[in-house]
Amino acid sequence: MSGAHPLHRVAVVGVAATEMARQLDATSAEVSLRAALAALDDAGLGVADVDGVAARWPGPGGTVFQPGSADWADVFGQPLRWVCDTYPQGVPGALDAAAAVAAGLCETALVFGGQAGIMGGSAVADYTRPDNEFIACWGSLTAAQFALVTQVYRHRHAPDPEQLAAIAAAIRNAGSANPAAVMAGRGPYTAADVLASPMVAEPFRLLDLCLATEGAAAMVITTAERARDLAQPPVAILGGGSEWHRQQYVNPPRYDEVWGLGADAARRAFGLAGLGPHDVDVFELYDINTYEVIRQFEMLGLCAEGEGADYLAEAGIGVDGRHPLNTDGGLLSYSHIGWGGPTLKIVEAVRQLRGTAGPGQVANAETALATGAGAGAQYHNVMLLGRT
Amino acid sequence: MGGRTDELEDRSLRPLTGEFWAAVNRDELVRPVCNDCGQSFFVPQFACPHCQSTNWDYQPSSGRGRVYSHTTVHRPPTPAFTAPYVMADVDVEEGWHLLAWIVDCEPDQVAIDMPVTVKFVTGPDGHRLPAFAPVEASL
Repeated sequence: MSGAHPLHRVAVVGVAATEMARQLDATSAEVSLRAALAALDDAGLGVADVDGVAARWPGPGGTVFQPGSADWADVFGQPLRWVCDTYPQGVPGALDAAAAVAAGLCETALVFGGQAGIMGGSAVADYTRPDNEFIACWGSLTAAQFALVTQVYRHRHAPDPEQLAAIAAAIRNAGSANPAAVMAGRGPYTAADVLASPMVAEPFRLLDLCLATEGAAAMVITTAERARDLAQPPVAILGGGSEWHRQQYVNPPRYDEVWGLGADAARRAFGLAGLGPHDVDVFELYDINTYEVIRQFEMLGLCAEGEGADYLAEAGIGVDGRHPLNTDGGLLSYSHIGWGGPTLKIVEAVRQLRGTAGPGQVANAETALATGAGAGAQYHNVMLLGRT
Repeated sequence: MGGRTDELEDRSLRPLTGEFWAAVNRDELVRPVCNDCGQSFFVPQFACPHCQSTNWDYQPSSGRGRVYSHTTVHRPPTPAFTAPYVMADVDVEEGWHLLAWIVDCEPDQVAIDMPVTVKFVTGPDGHRLPAFAPVEASL
């Protein structure tokens, strides 16, 4: 840690994730609060230490005019120095909070959120059928938007379906071994199971696609100086970056524009860290579907475009592989909690670097990569975290 | 659930896009064309994404294009839609593109680069929609 760059003057000092389930008997606000308090407890801090909040205000109560992070000041019973209504959370929320702490706008920022009480037994979560007048009328769903990108990839590169299915099976088996996962104990899955699951939107089958579940996640970011006296070994933010190609789910995503999305953000993140993609010990990638996993390895430059499935089959993605990834079971099997879901990637990355990740722990993990969003959503972000 | 754009009644009254939907109601396809730089764009925006001019108008489209990408949906997001159906990103010859269904053929006949032409259909909510059909089938 050079200390020269502002991001290197802050640390992630607390993380937490609540119970995850298909449906929770709670509101989004309640599970968000649970995650927030647990992350503070993890850090050895209390509500009184928080002077920055990046969250959302799901209600009930609060203002009707402009609901947002400022509403949490009422729940915490104290004023705040910095608020940020970040969308989504995860990497962008963490980078915003880190920048605020580094700039002295606040000292201790709490980034948190999730969802509960929203699934209501409907077939799909409302947010997975994005509303836009040129999208919704066709019966589109987010999986279909990602499929439009993937179909061009398949047309040009004809990846091996067995290799892709093996990736989904491996991530799901990591979730099977994670007692906290929504899909804990399910499986084990084989590539054949994935290929036999029902087609949703070609080429995605049910087991290629992420969950839509309930729960919340949180992280606490403070100055590196303050971090020294807290309950956990601080985790450094080595670098990070975001790319917004355009707003999601308005225009259909185009392969030629978005397959490499994240490469610029990754270049900046690794440049800041003074590292390369081969230095990453554990990857917590945004696995909205199986193809997004190989896309990110190609985007990172670890293999050429079109070679991701071959590359990962050879490298290995399990705990003992060259590129261990999505060690908690990922969005496919652990949980995906909507706009709070991206934070789960950072929670698991931090636990890996602390050495407390449970069955998915990678031995001596010193550097972790957490990512968010993907080609079909037309934005992507990456963050490198490191043991201190 | 109320207020979603797929549940609103009179599309022709929408700001920015009403004229597009009014044309669709007449089985006509139009697209925004910038009066300053001459380029087409889609979706409609208040300013041209090529030159940021707000001086643009809807003009008729030939409705001829090619499939840039496509996916067959087997599990619709709501019961209103009957699977399977093919969603495609269609490159229209005037240099713009839009998402639409491919109709009048089996899903496995749809291919990238396939020439298509506009064909108006009625969506599950009773509204007209601009879909596309293979050129052969539409002759």
